[in-house]
Amino acid sequence: MESATVALGHHAEEHHGPPEANQSSRIDKQTLGILLFIVSEVMLFGAFFASYFFLRVVVSPAAWPPHPYELPVPVAGVNTAILVSSSFTVHYALESIRRGNREGMKLGLLLTWMLGATFLFIQINEYVHLGFSARDLSFGSIFYCLTGLHGAHVFVGLMLLSFATIRAFRGHFGPKAEDHLGVEVPGIYWHFVDVMWIIVYVTVYIL
Amino acid sequence: MLAAIKRPGWTRGALGALAFAAFGFGLVISLRAISGLPLYQTEQTGYPHVIVPLILAPLGFLAGFGCFDYWLRWAAGAPTIPDDHSQHGAKTWKDYFRFNTDHKVIGIQYICTTFFFFFVGGLMAMLIRAELAQPGTQIVDAATYNSLFSTHAVLMIFVFVIPVFAGIANYVLPLMIGAPDMAFPRLNALSFWMLPLAGILFIGSFLAPGGAFDAGWTGYAPLSTGAPLGQSFFNLGVQFAGASSILTALNFLVTIITMRAPGMTFWRMPLLVWANLSTSLLVVAATPFIAGAQFMVLLDRLLHTNFFQFAAGGDVVSYQHIFWFYSHPAVYIMMLPGFGIVSEVISTHARKPIFGYRLMALALLGIVVLSYSVWAHHMFVSGMFSWLRVPMMLTTLLIAVPTGIKIFSWLGTLYFGKIHTYSTSMLFALAFIVTFTIGGISGVMLGMVPIDIHVTDTYFIVAHIHFVLFGGSVFTIFAGIYHWFPKMTGRMYDEKLGRVHFWGTLIGTWGTFVPMHWIGMDGMPRRVADYASQFGNWNLLISCFAFMLGAVQLIFLYNMIVSWRFGPRAPANPWRANSIEWQVSSPPPIFNFDEIPRVVGGPYEFGVPGARHAIMAGEGAEVPATEPSVVGSP
Repeated sequence: MESATVALGHHAEEHHGPPEANQSSRIDKQTLGILLFIVSEVMLFGAFFASYFFLRVVVSPAAWPPHPYELPVPVAGVNTAILVSSSFTVHYALESIRRGNREGMKLGLLLTWMLGATFLFIQINEYVHLGFSARDLSFGSIFYCLTGLHGAHVFVGLMLLSFATIRAFRGHFGPKAEDHLGVEVPGIYWHFVDVMWIIVYVTVYIL
Repeated sequence: MLAAIKRPGWTRGALGALAFAAFGFGLVISLRAISGLPLYQTEQTGYPHVIVPLILAPLGFLAGFGCFDYWLRWAAGAPTIPDDHSQHGAKTWKDYFRFNTDHKVIGIQYICTTFFFFFVGGLMAMLIRAELAQPGTQIVDAATYNSLFSTHAVLMIFVFVIPVFAGIANYVLPLMIGAPDMAFPRLNALSFWMLPLAGILFIGSFLAPGGAFDAGWTGYAPLSTGAPLGQSFFNLGVQFAGASSILTALNFLVTIITMRAPGMTFWRMPLLVWANLSTSLLVVAATPFIAGAQFMVLLDRLLHTNFFQFAAGGDVVSYQHIFWFYSHPAVYIMMLPGFGIVSEVISTHARKPIFGYRLMALALLGIVVLSYSVWAHHMFVSGMFSWLRVPMMLTTLLIAVPTGIKIFSWLGTLYFGKIHTYSTSMLFALAFIVTFTIGGISGVMLGMVPIDIHVTDTYFIVAHIHFVLFGGSVFTIFAGIYHWFPKMTGRMYDEKLGRVHFWGTLIGTWGTFVPMHWIGMDGMPRRVADYASQFGNWNLLISCFAFMLGAVQLIFLYNMIVSWRFGPRAPANPWRANSIEWQVSSPPPIFNFDEIPRVVGGPYEFGVPGARHAIMAGEGAEVPATEPSVVGSP
């Protein structure tokens, strides 16, 4: 209690900064934050996957996809390969900056960004040529929602990568762990987007 | 004027909301014009020219208000400016009305905002009881009645009980674990400012053509997919409230895991911290499910997708599965932080260590795990798979075990304790144990399939939910508010008025909700404005108690406001508690600590000679730290 009154006297008007927080875990705040955010995102996808299996397995229509509709499995397969390869380029960017190779980081980020944008472009192109809309049966609704939700995540991932790329070209990152969180954290998110696409692709196109 | 537009704040926020709303309106109208559609679509579930601006206007407000300023600067690649702490702390009352990153300010903001919604929702409860005092229709028509009970529930759940706990923990938790602030202070402020927007959307739905949403707080499809425009306000408001609570929970988890004081191992954390850790795990992993469910309803309403349209291959019952997969864990989101508060209050005022501290923490985690496996006990009569009934019954009964462990541990803590009831918080905590146990037992009854089928959609359900949410959650909220009021305001509240409030609330709660069990057993249905005249006398009695219950809350309001302004100065530690927040001044210094304290023992070592929980800066330098400053990540 004594210390409390002392503390009050000291602090009443002064405006110096807060004390340094104790780091009580080996994992840093930003990485843990994005991992928890990804848990939340996985569950959001989980809600839509739950709906998918209700519509497909519980309702159990005669054919899935319903009769006249077809999904372009090979095109989407190529698209999958494009997105998966972007996971390697973003990993290359992170490894480069860890070794202090700024040029490699810039190249890796740019390649990732372009691969992601290509994926999104092909996806939109696929939507245009599918021949059914979100209003056509529950199949159309859940197809567009699952792939669209994923597309929205690709878009968000691209935004994060843009921020990282802009800062990379302005020379903002360094080889020390705390100096390239701005590459690492969007990278973790991008890996999540990739893995989630593999699950969506396998469930919606192949199964 | 120009300066006010450039500076983040209310002016820029209002302009941002207007600009974004106008953009959304223009976007919808021009897209419809290009597609050759009529410009306005006003069948009752449509209104895209209202919905899109409703999504964008809150975002515009947040952007204008300054919630994104730092991040936008970062995203654009500008060099980061060192924080000058100008957004931290409150010097005048005006600082509570701006974007503020201080967890203490945000805590107060949360508590005041949520209590505003508590009183609005309470007023709706009074209207409901006034209508139900007599059989027949007297005050509101049936449609308005439906809107009233739906809005009452939604306000109480989404913008009172869930966020008020976040508010209390926001204030207390960083102090308790010896952290200077939350892990992400700007995210914390953003989370808060989304909350009033959700509340405004819920209340604003009364202005929509067709009235406020009236499908209950559950918003079951297909009732909700065909409901008037107000239902879309609910769908959107839930998104904002949900995003707010997910981001807050994430913030709590990161704060608890990475920012504990040296020596504060997991087994030395106060139970309030444990409770918020468990709650946050639930929020992060469960809340996306209600977001998903409401997205689907909104898409069905707005874009005419077929998630819940039977004729087009949709599945109506899937709504209930997805909804309850969130909403059953949500009842623990509304209860676990209260368990934490009660543990603090009871241990402090019984002057005894918590009985079975580790089991208390593990019971919390047990509830977290089990709560994901009981959702379908809300759906015994929904026409779901019949094989799911018995497993859900068994898990429901099983989840009573960790809850029972907590009840017995509190009783064990009280046993042979020196029980002080000079604080209203202890009275509420003791009343909580009794009332919540009754509510818990009726919950076990409802877990049994045959009893549940008998009383489904009767007042027995209303009685159960109010016993656990009012007699449970709200009692713990009052206990927490009274307990930390001296810490938060630096003033003592009026104990006499606190007692009047307590006894009025206790008698009002029991008088209101106990008879509901009986009329529910006799078959009075819930969610109807009129009822069979044989229930008239009971309902009149219930309404009288309910009005008393409402009236005594005004005493609480008066006590809080007047004591905050004129109460006697509070000492740093009026309850002689051990945890760290009581070792700093009341109210705490602007940056919480000069130096981070060192934790050397458990938080509840009352009556143990020489036991210390924490050593503050500038005292006890001779005591060596017994723990390494970095402990393993969990």
